[in-house]
Amino acid sequence: MKNAQRPTPNATPAGPMPITVEDVSFTYPSGTHALRGVSLRIAPGEAMAIVGENGAGKTTLVKHLNGLLKPSQGRVLVGDWDTREHSVAKTAARVGYVFQNPDDQIVERTVGDEVGFGPKQLGRTEAERAADVAAALALVELSDYAKTHPYDLTTAQRKLVTLASVLAMRTPILIFDEPTMGQDARGLALIGGIVERLKGEGRTVLTITHDIDFCAAHFGRVVVMADGQVLADGAAADVLARAELLATTNVEPPQLVRLAQALRLPRAALTVDGFVETLQGSRGAGGQG
Amino acid sequence: MTVNYGLYVPKQSGIHSLHPLTKLAYLGFCLAVSWVIPGTWTPYLVFLLGIVPLSALGQVLPNILSGAFKAVLPFAISLFVVQGFFWPEGTVLQQIGPFSLKEEGLFFAIRGAGRILMAVSTFLLLSYTTRPDELTLALGQLGVPNSIAYVILSTLQIIPRFQTKATTILDAQRSRGLETEGSLRVRARALLPLVLPLLLSSIVDIEERAIALEVRAFGRQGPKTSLLVLHDTPWQRLLRWLLLLAALGVIVWRIYAALAPRFLS
Repeated sequence: MKNAQRPTPNATPAGPMPITVEDVSFTYPSGTHALRGVSLRIAPGEAMAIVGENGAGKTTLVKHLNGLLKPSQGRVLVGDWDTREHSVAKTAARVGYVFQNPDDQIVERTVGDEVGFGPKQLGRTEAERAADVAAALALVELSDYAKTHPYDLTTAQRKLVTLASVLAMRTPILIFDEPTMGQDARGLALIGGIVERLKGEGRTVLTITHDIDFCAAHFGRVVVMADGQVLADGAAADVLARAELLATTNVEPPQLVRLAQALRLPRAALTVDGFVETLQGSRGAGGQG
Repeated sequence: MTVNYGLYVPKQSGIHSLHPLTKLAYLGFCLAVSWVIPGTWTPYLVFLLGIVPLSALGQVLPNILSGAFKAVLPFAISLFVVQGFFWPEGTVLQQIGPFSLKEEGLFFAIRGAGRILMAVSTFLLLSYTTRPDELTLALGQLGVPNSIAYVILSTLQIIPRFQTKATTILDAQRSRGLETEGSLRVRARALLPLVLPLLLSSIVDIEERAIALEVRAFGRQGPKTSLLVLHDTPWQRLLRWLLLLAALGVIVWRIYAALAPRFLS
């Protein structure tokens, strides 16, 4: 266990850092232009969701953020690192990426070992790894399954294992690809709670999602993509209220926004409390008038 | 919408529009000639005269050359090493330390590599120019059971599916810090985290596919209706028979040529 005794520089978790996407275009070998001049700056600690129809370029964009794809034009900076100059394995110490399908990564015989895979690659000591694994499993409420084979869990639980395996890496930036897919109400609440906790710790959380209600509840900034370009970028309350714009990329506004628009309320709210407040304010104003 | 047809390369060519069984008969004939007719260079000659022109007509020659080279090279190298240096007796061409390169072994390896080249290139030519669903339908019309036609279809589709899956798994592991670039040792270490999920997810995939087929009445007995219509012509039917007879003729002639001296002497 040479790695355990001799941690690499990656072993120390990096501090908060911004992501800068500068005029990035990307063309797949098949000739598909997946990104066309995308520019974004994601501040440290920001919670940002990327929405848009299938084929809009969402996955291609986030794969640029940890270096899985290198821009055909432009550049991506993670902190002060240009992703073209560092391997994906090195960038993994800064950007954690939770893939959509858990079965694409599970390799170990126990849930505990699977969650410890990332920290091990980053050169953490055995003691550090044990602490990282325990903390990550506690977050996804799978501590009791540490010795279980991952394939003895349900698909939704395996998805949580892959989430824990990236949480255990303690990266300052996390990307979740469709995190709520296949989750029941309990799973949704659990993942929502994890996002809130990460935000509270000042970590950058990015997600690609078709679950607009989840996006509205937990992400302050929303980027709408269509045809490899950024169609809209701004505060969730503003962007998700633009029903006509969202319709052009086959995204429906959250239920509360649609309800607020149907009731002709003066502004849309993304939370139930906010909606009730707006409704009461509107009634009050109506009564006074 | 783009439909994924496995290895199929969509092009507007006469080879693409041929009936799948016509191509199958032609490639079968080429394989029979290259494997049965003696001569070290026979497979290469058949490749040059039988496969290359058709590949060029089908606009898939670069794909065939590149695919065949990648697939044949590892086999060719091992054949040359094993047969060239470990042939029991024969003319020594070169002595390298305790090993001697023998002429007979070398020629055996050349012929063996040629046969593999023919097997790979015929498979690729058929796959690149024939949609798997059309091939399956053609085989079904020939009387091949659906289950066997499906096995053939799956075989044609499995390579690109594996490639896509392997890329996704590799991306997932690299994203968790697995180093896959660098020395041979580093690459070898990265193999297990790639292979294991690939195998496990393939098993899961097979099970899901089997269920999906069953719920769509794949196992139902009796004739099935196909929405696909295959284009066939009288001259293609005639050509298929001629190719079949020619292939059989070559095989019978070879058996006769091998056995006749024993009976005549």
